[in-house]
Amino acid sequence: MSTDLVSPPEADGRPEALTSRQKAARYLTNHPHLVLIGVLIVLIILTGIIEPNYLSINGLRNSALFAVPIGVLAAGQTILMLTGGIDLSAAMIATGAAYVAANQSPRGALIAIIGGLLVGLLAGAANGIGVGILQVNPLIMTLAMSGILLGLFTSWAQTIFSGSTRMGDFIRTVGGGSFFGRAVPWAVVVWAVLSVFVVYMLRRSGFGRNLYALGDNAVASRLSGVRAWQVLIAVYTLAGVFAAIAGLLLGGRVGAVDLQLAGVFLLPSVAAAVIGGTSIFGGIGTYTGTILGALILGVLQSLLTFLGAGQAVQQMLYGSIVIGLSWLYTRISAAQ
Amino acid sequence: MVKEDFLLAARGVAKKYGSVIALRSADLSVGSGEIHALLGANGAGKSTLVKILSSVIASDTGAIEVHGEATNLRTPSDSIAAGIATVFQDPALIRDLTLEQNLRISGLDKADVEPWLVRMNLGHIDFDLQVADVPLAVLRLLDLARALAHDPQLLMLDEITAALTTDQASYVFEVMREWKDRGRSVLFISHRLGEVLEMCDRATILRNGADVAHLDLRGVDEGQLVTAMLGAELIEEFAEGPVEEVDSTRAVDVLEDRDVVLEAKGLYLRDKVNGVSFQLRSGEILGLTALEGQGQDELFQVLSGDHRPTAGELLVDGERLNARSPYDAIRRGLVLVPADRQKALLPQRSVRENLSTPLYARAGRWFTIASDEVERVDRAVERLDIDIRAGSQAQRLSGGNQQKVTIGRWLASGFDTLLCFDPTRGIDIQTKAQIYDLLREVAATGASVLLYTSELREIPLVCDRALVMYAGRIVHEQDAATATEETLLTAAHGLQEASA
Amino acid sequence: MTAVAPDTLAAGTQPAWRRWLRRHGWTVGVWILLLALIVYYSTLIPRFGWFQVASIVNNSTPLVFLAVAQAIIVIAGGIDLGVGGMLVLSSVTAAQLMEGQGFGVTLLIAIAIIAVAAAMNAGVGWIITVSNVPDIVITLGSLYVFQGMALAVLPNPGGGTSEGFRYMFTGSNTGIGSNPWPAAIMMTIAVAGVALWMGKTKGGLSLYAVGSDKTAAYLSGIRAALVKIKAYAIGGGFAALAGLATTAIAGRGNATTVGGNLTLNSVAAIVLGGVALTGGIGSAIAVVPAGIILFFLNPILTAMGVDPHGAQVIQGVLIVFVMAVTGLLEWRRRRRS
Repeated sequence: MSTDLVSPPEADGRPEALTSRQKAARYLTNHPHLVLIGVLIVLIILTGIIEPNYLSINGLRNSALFAVPIGVLAAGQTILMLTGGIDLSAAMIATGAAYVAANQSPRGALIAIIGGLLVGLLAGAANGIGVGILQVNPLIMTLAMSGILLGLFTSWAQTIFSGSTRMGDFIRTVGGGSFFGRAVPWAVVVWAVLSVFVVYMLRRSGFGRNLYALGDNAVASRLSGVRAWQVLIAVYTLAGVFAAIAGLLLGGRVGAVDLQLAGVFLLPSVAAAVIGGTSIFGGIGTYTGTILGALILGVLQSLLTFLGAGQAVQQMLYGSIVIGLSWLYTRISAAQ
Repeated sequence: MVKEDFLLAARGVAKKYGSVIALRSADLSVGSGEIHALLGANGAGKSTLVKILSSVIASDTGAIEVHGEATNLRTPSDSIAAGIATVFQDPALIRDLTLEQNLRISGLDKADVEPWLVRMNLGHIDFDLQVADVPLAVLRLLDLARALAHDPQLLMLDEITAALTTDQASYVFEVMREWKDRGRSVLFISHRLGEVLEMCDRATILRNGADVAHLDLRGVDEGQLVTAMLGAELIEEFAEGPVEEVDSTRAVDVLEDRDVVLEAKGLYLRDKVNGVSFQLRSGEILGLTALEGQGQDELFQVLSGDHRPTAGELLVDGERLNARSPYDAIRRGLVLVPADRQKALLPQRSVRENLSTPLYARAGRWFTIASDEVERVDRAVERLDIDIRAGSQAQRLSGGNQQKVTIGRWLASGFDTLLCFDPTRGIDIQTKAQIYDLLREVAATGASVLLYTSELREIPLVCDRALVMYAGRIVHEQDAATATEETLLTAAHGLQEASA
Repeated sequence: MTAVAPDTLAAGTQPAWRRWLRRHGWTVGVWILLLALIVYYSTLIPRFGWFQVASIVNNSTPLVFLAVAQAIIVIAGGIDLGVGGMLVLSSVTAAQLMEGQGFGVTLLIAIAIIAVAAAMNAGVGWIITVSNVPDIVITLGSLYVFQGMALAVLPNPGGGTSEGFRYMFTGSNTGIGSNPWPAAIMMTIAVAGVALWMGKTKGGLSLYAVGSDKTAAYLSGIRAALVKIKAYAIGGGFAALAGLATTAIAGRGNATTVGGNLTLNSVAAIVLGGVALTGGIGSAIAVVPAGIILFFLNPILTAMGVDPHGAQVIQGVLIVFVMAVTGLLEWRRRRRS
């Protein structure tokens, strides 16, 4: 089709008469985060109306704590989705990392943390080799990895990791503790540091450029000299490490670890990235958007708790939000 | 003619893709019992018009009438029902299904197409074959038979003869004549003007997305058609344009003392490239031309490191290049500008990111953004005069600016040899001239260029030396200054094996 | 564009059996693998009889139906993460409504559930075609919605069904017995029906056409959007059938079953069954043994004295292996053409 297009020079950027509605749509397209910030504020206010106590440090802190594991897991999902991938093993990697850390806790916090991160590193690298070298579809590769890890850890729970399932004190403080008189949770600090790293990586590093390039047009990035397998192994490994960090934080908050620890956070982590405007086909998205997505899910959780809504309503609402917001994004970008 | 005489009439049809105008405003009317040609240069809007007429895409504005009545056809099936059947450039057959299954999904039976296939010498074909196992030319004829089986009032043929042998093409012509004799109509699109003059009654000519001429083809010759297609003013612009200012008459012997930067020695790739050897010297622009499908695509794949040759070797600065991926070729200074911008552009990313992509391919450059990125990118934008007002997403640029971006990428990252595959295909005349200038400038600084082009006149205009490829081999070489369309075309048809 | 002499395109130039094998080799292979596993299993355990066969056939029915649902949608170029949620929703709705009813009523309820499930999933398909949002995102949403609805229908595990209904899926009024035939017949009829429809009729072939090449399908006069909605509807119906089987086997419903995991199993089964995730390639008939094998790995490993959790590891490795091999074959095929 491209060969059949006439392309007059004046076609570019010529100012056109726009209706105010088109102008608004264009503004929102260029600043997609405004929609999310709006949704977040509305949700916070709404929750505050229903439960005035919510608008306090304690109330907001609870939302933030719920958002942390989602946000950290979603960091992995975001960088993978930018390349057109996804990680369905993230929750299982997180669980495995927490399991190993709890098991190694008697040997000191440092070894426990290193052990946990190593789980993420190895599983992530294996995902990367599967996707980058063996060319297995990311959905299938990470799904299989999830099953493999579940099998391994279930079996290891009775053998090599049969000892402690309690997290050490240090990890518990980082995962669940706070400072400044219980005002700021340490976990939020960890998330903030990680966020700065990811945002910087995506905006200002050559690796970030490669992620976007690969996801936007794999053929073009190959012809520009990008070697996909290298980028993919690196990015899946990194996502594995992020998942492990999420697992350590979550395990620290809960205190004791079992194999169902992180499972419920898998789909919310994908949802957070989708809500944040990251395209599942790659090439489009930011971690800032994902952070907002995770925060929205965190506030939503508080709102539903105050409403006394059970799991049922929660899940239906979750689903509707994912469908509704993604539909809205597509409409906005098509309206250009 | 009276309005009711037209089987199909389109008025003021226009179509825009984002900021790119594909059709400005086109009128076309096809009478009953007529073979009508739709002509135009690449990018004139022919395919877009055909797609609108067959309801594949909707026009932005304009009206289409069938038998004098306004219609509201929304999908290809509506068009078929209204008596308009189309054979598209790419056969509309499903790869993973058998021929019989393909007929069934269009609501047809073997018996419906068999009489037509017999006449095309395909009566013996096995309907249990999978489409993926059938050669393209046969698929075109099958697609034609399928269209005929719908018994349409109007048959639209988009470049159907392009991949056919002479025999096969003659079957198509027979069918077209018969259709005319039945009082039905054919809309025929072809680049081969000889065919058009032989077969067609009238012609509508498109240029830059608008109809510029409606001709009765009796007594018209090819030259007149070409003039109508290109437009007299454009031909003048070419003659007086900025291109002339560049010294393109440099003698080849000046270059003979220069170092050989790229040498191909007996390159083979499967059965597509059959022993290609050539030398490219520093500061030289080497032109290459060929008809479609003579192995030039595959040759460029090998040269750019995208494919390993099955035999032969490639020397860069006298040292063997054994590329596993384009990365290895790029590291040795060998870079590619592909014809298809879909293969080069990051459509959703900014112009800046598009231009800087090669800078970060090496793992050592993954950490921080190059400190001189802004400078390099700005220099490339300036040098190429890229219009970056719509620069937040490369897909919003016009075709010409998109092509500049794909070239600018290499200006920003640096290279020794530029492999350009038909870089001016489908872009406007002004950008073309800028690209020619740029290539000459690049050569003047000592880099070299291998330019494949399907537009023969670009060879004497831009190149120092010319090669012609036929059936996977270099069959002709000559000084570009002496090359004429005639000598090049003769060689391209494999009619003469000469080495000047 | 290699020049092929016309006669190589004529009928009978290639032995019919060879072409048949080339096209259906995968299906045959998976069936042989299943038979080999059964034979192997029979040598592992002291007593191998109808009880064991019935247990394998009956308990794999839900996964088989769910995999067929996924296969239909994937062949048509989509992917439905929501099928697991639909299974849970249908299962608990059935358990809730069928408790204490006679066979006739439960049968009517079952038919109604299948119809409603098909309609709901058609809605999902409609949203996908209208919104232009990727299938995977919309169905991630529908997974949540269905799972939430299931929890609303039946907050705590419970409910029930009629004995006749249990017999229909398990060959026994209590859900446990040595009669594999009712389940086998149900599977055969449903799967053979859908496979025939997909392979022989215009409507069914359209699914392959749209999944294989949307543009060419559209140009051939197929309404791609409608076909996709149809695929989602039929997939929804099969997911509901899987849910009904689940209720019949357990005799009750449980909304806390994680639908997402079931979806993931269905995707694993179709991959093993040779369905291409890119659409247009595969057969419901190959998905049946694949589903059974995935379930069957557990008892085999137990019988081998291996930790049954190893089954999950083997499943995972097997699937990666299958994908890597098919990827390699595809790559080689493309290189040669």
